[in-house]
Amino acid sequence: MAADVKVAAISGYFAQGFGQSIVAGLNKAKDDFGVEVKLIDTGNRALDYEEQFNNVAKDGEYDLVFVMGWELVDALTKAAEAYPDQRFIFIDGVLDSDKIVYADFSEEEGSFVTGAFASLMAAKGSAIDGLGDGKSIGFVGGRDIPVIRNFLRGYEQGAKAAAPDVAVDAVFAGTFDDPAKGSELTMALYGEGNDIVYNVAGPTGEGVLQASAAADKYSIGVDIDQCDVAPGHVMASMLKRGDIAVYSLIKDEVEGRTVKPGTYSFDLKSGGVELLMCPQTIDMVPEDVKSKVSELRDAVINGDIKITE
Amino acid sequence: MSETLRPVIGQAIAIFIALALGTVVIMVVGESPILVFATLLEGAFGSTERIAGTLLQTTPILVCGIAACISFRGGLFNIGVEGQLFMGGFAAVIVGIYLPLPAGLHMLVGILVAMLAGMAWIAIPAFFRARYNANEVVSTILSNYVAVLLTSYFTIFLFKRPGGWSETAPILPSAYLPELFSFSRLNWGLIIGLALAVAVQLYFRHTSRGYSVSIMGQNLKFAEYGGVDIKRHIFLVLLASGAVGGLAGGIEALGVHHRFMEGFAPGFGFDGVIAALLANGNPIGTIGAALFFGALRSGSLLLEVDTNASREIITVIQALIILSVSAQILMRRRGDSTAAERRWKF
Repeated sequence: MAADVKVAAISGYFAQGFGQSIVAGLNKAKDDFGVEVKLIDTGNRALDYEEQFNNVAKDGEYDLVFVMGWELVDALTKAAEAYPDQRFIFIDGVLDSDKIVYADFSEEEGSFVTGAFASLMAAKGSAIDGLGDGKSIGFVGGRDIPVIRNFLRGYEQGAKAAAPDVAVDAVFAGTFDDPAKGSELTMALYGEGNDIVYNVAGPTGEGVLQASAAADKYSIGVDIDQCDVAPGHVMASMLKRGDIAVYSLIKDEVEGRTVKPGTYSFDLKSGGVELLMCPQTIDMVPEDVKSKVSELRDAVINGDIKITE
Repeated sequence: MSETLRPVIGQAIAIFIALALGTVVIMVVGESPILVFATLLEGAFGSTERIAGTLLQTTPILVCGIAACISFRGGLFNIGVEGQLFMGGFAAVIVGIYLPLPAGLHMLVGILVAMLAGMAWIAIPAFFRARYNANEVVSTILSNYVAVLLTSYFTIFLFKRPGGWSETAPILPSAYLPELFSFSRLNWGLIIGLALAVAVQLYFRHTSRGYSVSIMGQNLKFAEYGGVDIKRHIFLVLLASGAVGGLAGGIEALGVHHRFMEGFAPGFGFDGVIAALLANGNPIGTIGAALFFGALRSGSLLLEVDTNASREIITVIQALIILSVSAQILMRRRGDSTAAERRWKF
């Protein structure tokens, strides 16, 4: 076995939701395949990024370099030009350059299922504890960037497909690092009758989840299992399995299926994204909601439902 | 011991103490101090490209440091350099994008507008300091947050380019501050910074207004008694300091990033203030202090990749330097007899 595979990961977000899941995937690969893993924290200074990419790529020491974070795109694109033999794997979307490997998560598919679930629950109205008239559901995004727009797109289309009468009320916090702002926005959304709020906002989203406990309403987690952040109030988590993506790419490399520039998709079908209903609240989910959600999920997997741009 | 040598020795002791404590920290986290310091050196000066990288890091620290020096000389404490840098950078980018002008002229106008923006940003704290004696430390610190968040807001909601990260469109190439070498992003900003350091030093040494400001910094009452228009000088010194802070942002925007984005250049304003403190408010000394911090930062980038020690080690070392330098300043101030004399003196 190719135990001499070395990988590095470069990002400023290893301590946060999606970043944690990437670290988990790297560690699992380290345990299972004996690959060497190096984590490189970028910090937050744009001036540093290019030198950091140079330092990683200079000796060709690492077979694969995972990159996460949209602020690194500029430096990544330059490094991919300067070091054509270095394989960089961007884990946050797809860019223009054809020299980079992309791990593309179908967050819109997972969010579609999430939107369907939230709208169906909201449509039950006051039949469920803590829900009101159920006319709309909420969404709190971090920054207004393409990947977050993808989440919103899927969420809106899922809600529409499952319960056409339920509207989606979406706001952006403009930052991933402000839980207080997340709470504030969520309280405002609750005030306007959105009883279930989906957060796609990193640490800002922690505030969303905490607000659901404070207001005795409901929220939905993202990226990793967030059911424990506000038990009984987080209804579900839309898992974006960075760990699965990282692990399976390293596995391909180790087992001789060389990873090449291009797009690797991680969708509902491959388990790259999925909706986890929280164990604390699953008993209050009516059977017809569960079956409708799983029906829509299958329709997305089979390609019967296409999520549009 | 000569009067010029004493502060140099004091600062050297401060750095030595900080490095010694840093060594202890490195050993506590289980790394070899020799490896860490060797990697820092290699990362900072190991090749031509790395030296250029160090100078690239040095530039904003130097220019911010000069901004701080100017205020220190007048006995004032501008900690708002960070905010002035952000405002200056943002203003320069707006000029770079929306005001097409011939090459060269475009860049000069961009730089000038950056300085005006920095000046405008400190005008309110400066006015209240000069007119009502409101503590400029507090007001300039507070204005930092406003500047960082305001430019962030403008970037996201008004000037964001479609797709991608929260950043503006790129500036026109006619506004670029030219690079010095083909292999690095190092640009004319460094030359501007060095020239400015010399100019500011000469100004304080050899002009009568510079002398008035220095006197004001050393003893406000004496300067007032001697006929210096204190209010006017305080206002102008702070404006000049703010303009140089804005210049630092303009250099980063037009010389390095060619656009404005969230997290534009966080922390350089504060690094500059520390460099100026370490240099005792002397612009020429600030060149050395800025180079020292630039080398630490640049070296730390290699440290992160090549060893198991974290980049943050240098943040610890920097913090230790701040501690030892402030301890020194406090000790120096103990000799002052009245409360009125116990101010920042350089």
